[in-house]
Amino acid sequence: MHGGLELWLFAVALGTSMLGGLLGMASGIFIVPVLTMFGRIDLHTAIGASLISVIACSCASAAPFLKDGLTNIRLAILLETATTFGALCGVFLAGLIPTQYLFFIFALILLLSAQQMVARRKELPRASDRDIGYSAERMPLGMTLMYGAGLISALLGIGSGVLKIPAMDTALRLPIKVSSATSNFMIGVTAAASAGAYFARGDILTSVAAPIALGSVLGAVLGARILMKLHSDKLRMMFVCILVILSAQMMLAAFGINLVERAP
Amino acid sequence: MKTDTTLPPRLEPALGALLYHGTILASAVIALGLALAVGLGAAGMRVAAFGIVLFILLPVLRVGAMLIFFLRAGEYKFGAIAALVMSIILLSFFLGAR
Repeated sequence: MHGGLELWLFAVALGTSMLGGLLGMASGIFIVPVLTMFGRIDLHTAIGASLISVIACSCASAAPFLKDGLTNIRLAILLETATTFGALCGVFLAGLIPTQYLFFIFALILLLSAQQMVARRKELPRASDRDIGYSAERMPLGMTLMYGAGLISALLGIGSGVLKIPAMDTALRLPIKVSSATSNFMIGVTAAASAGAYFARGDILTSVAAPIALGSVLGAVLGARILMKLHSDKLRMMFVCILVILSAQMMLAAFGINLVERAP
Repeated sequence: MKTDTTLPPRLEPALGALLYHGTILASAVIALGLALAVGLGAAGMRVAAFGIVLFILLPVLRVGAMLIFFLRAGEYKFGAIAALVMSIILLSFFLGAR
């Protein structure tokens, strides 16, 4: 066992989870590309470790939102039927889809995230923080998007905020604070549904996932403390660039090209 | 701030406490395991793996807590929804294991 790799994994998780906290996304979207490209870690191992990171971030940051009453737990449990069912399907597909296709899908999700970050989330008319109508006629669209979010989460080891956020903001018309808190609350359960299956299959390597989990918890806690007010447009654009670069790298990996020589 | 009076014991803070303490416990077990692994190797890694299992179980426990709460509060519709989520998760665990 070499302490070097563990330290590197810990640092990656710490950094990406802080970033995730700042950007309101789960860390998985950064962890998987960094592990596969710079750490030369097998994609399935990276996805398994990333799912643990997603659970850790979700659990570590849930308490304050719950205490403030921002998390809508009834809506969460209802939508979790769709996300966990999506995760169940994703677990099966993950075994069938060739690795190159997974890289390709990942690249698309990264681009989608970049696009979402450029567009920003805007508060739609209606809805105060307290009274939340579920706008029932839009529920089928919301549930469908949530199913997709669960599927992608299990397939790629990410939190799938990219799909959850449009589902909550646009389809269900929730206030941003409520949808962020509720999405964060749901991400843990969704990831756990697939992480359990990955663990049983032996796809979660302790030597990789353990340092990642620790780094994620610390990163999520620190991120929430320090970075609350950091929201300049320059910073956003920098992250958009990072996402686009990672997407390009994943796209190349899909075609079997890796430009980065191993770092650690 | 006005508090919701429709549900006497509030579930949200209890769930927050469960997730908060669970995170600390799972992290501590993983940290202990990694520290032991430096000296003991594989045995330490098994402790760390147990910590990872704790993390995977934590959100499942949270669904279980919601299930019990909803049933006790007489909210049978949400109790049934929580039971459905729980069964999908368990199904995923068992089918995924094969």
